Amino acid sequence: MNIPNLLQKMYEDKRLSREQLNSLLDIHGKRLFSVHHELRFFLYAGILLIIAGLGFTIKQYFAQLGDIAIIGTLTLCACAALIYCFVKGNNYSTEEVTSPNLLFDYILFFGCTVYSMDIAYIETQFHVLGDLWNNYLLVSAALFLFLAYRFDNRLVLSLALSTLAAWFGFTLSGPRFSFQEYYRLYAITYSIIVFLGGGFLYLLSMKKHFFDIYLNFAINFLFIALISGIIDYKLFSLYFLGLLAACIILVLYSLRTGKFLYMLYAIVYGYIGISIGFFDLIRHETALVFLYFIVSSLAVIIMIFLLSRKFKENE
Amino acid sequence: MNFRIYTSEQEENICIRKKAKTWQRSGLISEEQLRLMEAETEPNVHQTNLFFRLIFFLFTWLCATAVTAFVIWLMKEPSDTAAMSILILFSIPFYVLAEYVIKKYRFYRYGIEEALAIASIVSLCVGCGMLLDKYHLDYQIEAIAVSLIFALTFFWVFLRFGFLYSALISITALSTIPFQLSLSPTEERAFLLLILCLILLINILLDKSDNEDFRKERNILIQACLLAAIYLAVNLRLPELVSLYFDDRSIILQPYAGFSSYIYWLSYILTFLIPAIGIYWGIKRRKRLIMNAGLVLACLTLATNKSYLGLTRYAWDPAILGIMLILISTLITRWLSRGPNKARYGFTAENILKPESHGINLTDLGAALTPVFVDSQQPPAQAEKYFDSGKSGGGGASRGF
Repeated sequence: MNIPNLLQKMYEDKRLSREQLNSLLDIHGKRLFSVHHELRFFLYAGILLIIAGLGFTIKQYFAQLGDIAIIGTLTLCACAALIYCFVKGNNYSTEEVTSPNLLFDYILFFGCTVYSMDIAYIETQFHVLGDLWNNYLLVSAALFLFLAYRFDNRLVLSLALSTLAAWFGFTLSGPRFSFQEYYRLYAITYSIIVFLGGGFLYLLSMKKHFFDIYLNFAINFLFIALISGIIDYKLFSLYFLGLLAACIILVLYSLRTGKFLYMLYAIVYGYIGISIGFFDLIRHETALVFLYFIVSSLAVIIMIFLLSRKFKENE
Repeated sequence: MNFRIYTSEQEENICIRKKAKTWQRSGLISEEQLRLMEAETEPNVHQTNLFFRLIFFLFTWLCATAVTAFVIWLMKEPSDTAAMSILILFSIPFYVLAEYVIKKYRFYRYGIEEALAIASIVSLCVGCGMLLDKYHLDYQIEAIAVSLIFALTFFWVFLRFGFLYSALISITALSTIPFQLSLSPTEERAFLLLILCLILLINILLDKSDNEDFRKERNILIQACLLAAIYLAVNLRLPELVSLYFDDRSIILQPYAGFSSYIYWLSYILTFLIPAIGIYWGIKRRKRLIMNAGLVLACLTLATNKSYLGLTRYAWDPAILGIMLILISTLITRWLSRGPNKARYGFTAENILKPESHGINLTDLGAALTPVFVDSQQPPAQAEKYFDSGKSGGGGASRGF
């Protein structure tokens, strides 16, 4: 059996219309070949390269260009991008809205990133808010959140959530990449706020399709914070209980919704956390360490195997 | 000769089901029509979703590794011979288990059988490496032998089980051989190119038009990877591009990248020719992955062009490339959209086939990381710069002048 034969058979059995047959044969035979995803990829890559070029240029030539030229250009670019989006954008809807054209989403993303660069440059050079400069991040996150909802843009929503994370003090570019007590609690607070915020908007039926992005941010921050807590406070701590509770909730959610990415998170993060906890107890007994890994990995395999058979996942 | 553990019919049915699901997701067929197609194409294997597959792979691999390590540990500081024997011996039950679970439970890309097969091969190769080491062979011979064992065993796994990544690992292992022969850089690259071109040629010759769809798709992926590998072997300026990416501005371009001028200019021509061939071949034969590989390689050619010609690099070069990409993409989109039925020559910019959504994708992740880039590209404050250069007296400030 091959696809043309199958389609022909279904057509002859009147299970497929003539239009469907022709269109599917055209797609399968590549007489109709969509380059939609390739075009999107190159538009996105193009926008990222422009942002990179802008960043490099400012960093290298800021003394020659001067503040007015840099701030003027960045402001102009950000305003032009945002005005374009407001002029060309479709009306707001709580449901998913398709973009007016392929470039639209990336122009909005470009506008938001250039705005970030602009604000960061102004603050770095002029220290307008001094020690309160962090508040720029909060304002930017709020603005991005608004724009993400207004124009139904996942990229800008991701930008908003990572900007909010930056406001909480998380950065990957600075010298500080340790998870001390202070950041751990902030990470937990961040994930709870993101989860509740996303959940609240979901319950209000506002862009329900955005919920997964909220959840991904919340889960990763929460689990990393809990695991770092287990590293410090070991098995008998609230972090361990928190990890177990989070894993159970996530597994149940994953099973209920059929979104198995969350199952992967729960199993991997859960296993790491539990292993760290147990490893501390049995680390002097090498045989037990080996046995732990053998028995626990077999237990996970059997558990997931039973689950997968139950769900009869076909792909 | 057919070594495959799955029949062609099984694999073709799996391929049809996958396509049918994409059609249903894209609204081309109804849920009921999908069920009918699935009923007609029962592959008689058990599959699982991508995430379960990852979990199974991860934990089976962990279990196999822990069992092997445990047995070696039980021997209390075993000699190299004993450890080597255990590794080679363990490769047998792992392999047998991989075959057993496929036959008994009819697993197909389930993760468990994959991890067992790969654990078996790795165990065998490491054991063989230790065995060769025991005979104090010349380092080169040992390295070549280990590469060959890796290449052959992974190729066997590809032939038997059809795991595409094992074919790619096999090609990678084979590609390391020229670097073990103490050849000059030119000879190394020439030998590598010979190997890669030979594999590509064989693959193209075996890729017949009457092959089943699953076989065609597998060959396209291998061909795209080989095309990319050939390009990477040919482009002599890529290492510098990587250094520039990591902000190593101090890098000084070696004249002709350390090669003779003939080789250098030949490689320059090839950096244009290979992507062009890829794009042309991909468009003509409608091989998406090859076309995409050609397009990405063309971008790399543009990115290394200045280094090849010895021209000054500017900070805004990426932006110019970005503008170019956007202009070309926009022009193509408009051109296609204005054609009859929004298509020209069979190409369309419309989103016909929707990919599976897992909630979050790589583009979202890229967007999330943008603030990191913005933060890292901020210039130092001008006021600080002013004092740093020693233009100001400082008046007893503790800063360095």
